[in-house]
Amino acid sequence: MTGRLLRSRGVRKFRRNRLAMAALGVIALYFVTAIVLFFGGISMDATKERVAPKHMPGFFQTPDLDERLAFAMHFINEADVASRLASSRGQHPHEILQEKALAERRPVRLEIEQYDLLLDEAFTILEEELDLVENLQDHPELEPRVERMEEIAETIFPAPTGWEGGVYWLRTFLGSDAAGQSISVRAVYSIKVAFQIGLITSVVSVLIGSLLGAAAAFFGGWVDHLITWVFSTLSSIPYLVLLSVLIVVFFGTVFDDPERPFLSLVPVYVAFCSTFWIGPCRVIRGETMKIKELEYVQAATAIGFGRFYILLRHIIPNTAHLMFINFSLLFIGAIKSEVILSFLGLGVKGQASWGIMIRDAKDEVASYFFWQIGAATFLMFVLVLAFNIFTDALQDAFDPKHVD
Amino acid sequence: MIQRTHSSAKPILSVRNLTTRFRTDLGLVTAVDDVSFDIMPGETVGIVGESGCGKTVTSKSIMRLLPEHVTRIDPKSRIMFEGVNLASADERTMRAIRGDRIAMIFQEPMTSLNPVFRVGWQIDEALKYHTNLNRAQRRERTIEMLRLVEIPNPERRVDEYPHQLSGGMRQRVMIAIALCCEPDILIADEPTTALDVTIQAQILNLMEGLKRKLNTAIVLITHNLGVVAQVCDRVLVMYAGRVIESGSVHDIFHRPQHPYTQALLESIPKRGRREHGKRLPTIPGIVPSLHDLPTHCRFADRCRYKQDKCIAAEPDLIETGDGRSYRCFFPLNQAPAAPKVHAHDEPLNRAVRQEDC
Repeated sequence: MTGRLLRSRGVRKFRRNRLAMAALGVIALYFVTAIVLFFGGISMDATKERVAPKHMPGFFQTPDLDERLAFAMHFINEADVASRLASSRGQHPHEILQEKALAERRPVRLEIEQYDLLLDEAFTILEEELDLVENLQDHPELEPRVERMEEIAETIFPAPTGWEGGVYWLRTFLGSDAAGQSISVRAVYSIKVAFQIGLITSVVSVLIGSLLGAAAAFFGGWVDHLITWVFSTLSSIPYLVLLSVLIVVFFGTVFDDPERPFLSLVPVYVAFCSTFWIGPCRVIRGETMKIKELEYVQAATAIGFGRFYILLRHIIPNTAHLMFINFSLLFIGAIKSEVILSFLGLGVKGQASWGIMIRDAKDEVASYFFWQIGAATFLMFVLVLAFNIFTDALQDAFDPKHVD
Repeated sequence: MIQRTHSSAKPILSVRNLTTRFRTDLGLVTAVDDVSFDIMPGETVGIVGESGCGKTVTSKSIMRLLPEHVTRIDPKSRIMFEGVNLASADERTMRAIRGDRIAMIFQEPMTSLNPVFRVGWQIDEALKYHTNLNRAQRRERTIEMLRLVEIPNPERRVDEYPHQLSGGMRQRVMIAIALCCEPDILIADEPTTALDVTIQAQILNLMEGLKRKLNTAIVLITHNLGVVAQVCDRVLVMYAGRVIESGSVHDIFHRPQHPYTQALLESIPKRGRREHGKRLPTIPGIVPSLHDLPTHCRFADRCRYKQDKCIAAEPDLIETGDGRSYRCFFPLNQAPAAPKVHAHDEPLNRAVRQEDC
């Protein structure tokens, strides 16, 4: 079966289409990532961990002096607070710093005097030279001083090297958001949320929609009237309104708990599934109307099969192409809707998602910080584009009515 | 054509007063009106008539394949098959009979097979439903059936999809599906209409051969009189929902008694020099609309022998005892002496000419 499929004309045609193969590769990559994430590739805690000071820019943007100073000061302040606390408690500052470890940057254990020395020097530089100027950008002559500050920070929190250094780079190469969380980790983690919502809503909607649509057309009569009435009524309710109502309904239940990210998505699933099934239902109802008049359906009746059997084994398999098209349309649709809902604060709660990242980036954009919105939009854009190219190519390759 | 005598045999299917009505926007329409006939085991009966005369509705009424919510089979109708009245049988009984005891093949082989399944799967499905064979036995039987319907290389064809087969091949597969459970009756609704003439002949020969081998009775629905002449034992001629004449093929073709049958036979193109350059005779007028049927003879308006009586009342179906019946006040070709009711004697001459060509 598989061998025959792989040798078929459609597959050969599809494989000749380079763009489509690239799109397939991209989708596969996303899919594998989503699966790895689903099995705990990145824990939810990792998305909330502080890896850097806030709004650290990504890899190709050299931070300006202000940012470099802020970055260094971040570590120095940590050390200072720890040092004061340690002296009041009679502890070694390293013990406190260890708990405050910033991602891969682990503090080294220095002599107590050394801490004081370094911190004194740092605050002297800060107070006597750097704090005096409004904007460090206008004073390139102060760069050596900033460099010295960085060295001090580096001495206490040495940058990781080797494997750890690579991991640290991966976590910071797209910068950090307002809470110092890694943008790259959050953006990649969002793939899982997107796939979860996309897959569940599209599979459930297509299944419900095609079963109801096929049943409506096949049985006709009151079944058809009822199903048509239900979907025309439902389609007159915008899903935003429906979702708001559902959120009120689920308010205070387990489905409203940010600590349970999977369950907190249930209102989203319910809202999406109850509106998204209408599309496939309409299309497949129409197709079934056409198919049920074909002679093979009558022939099946003439063999003696029951009506449910004919519906399930003879009619629904013949609408499979429409189910696939609807599946890919709904998959993309659900991901886009999830982003919009999360942007509005109605969707994902308690975990990272592209919508939430874009919402968080709202204020950053005004101060020319594009890393967060850029990362989220880019990942979403690539997925949607790849899916659209893939769907088009599939249709080109397998639609018998398409002539090349 | 071999004439069979059925006087002693018991009919396998006996249709009495079958009346099928459809509910339409314009009211109730009687598509099949008071049709009666018997089918003997192993016999081939042809039902002929022009489009819309009710031949397909008759066959689908027997199979109860008509859409239930718009169809009314008159409660007086009786379709007796092995002691069961199919006209009023419940859906479960019908399901057990369909495909197993009475099978049907359709006009359009291109759409009669489900495009998404292999042909072998589709034969297997019918066997699975109606027999207790296991998987290996069913596979064997499927291949055997394909071989029986003369599909070359059945071991390979069994795993092909319908689109990989030609129209003739698909009709053979349809016949294989219909015959795999060895039904008593095969209803063939215009099985060769969509096929070209060469394949037509092959399919008809095949059906003829299979009928002999399996002793299946065949109800052949067609508008092609040539096909009827080739394979049928008996013929029913239908017009506007009624049987207007029936009898053996030989009688109908050589001594038609109803003017409509005669006109139908005349409108077959004939070979020979005498026919060369002549205009092909056609039947003037159109079939009366089922919404607005006349109360008098339904063919009267188109009949060239029409008399006053014909537009005053409708003739009953008259059985003449020799297995023939007709629905006409003034039948042609009456064996002993044709009643001298015709205004001129041209029809008799014509009928005689019919016989010698």
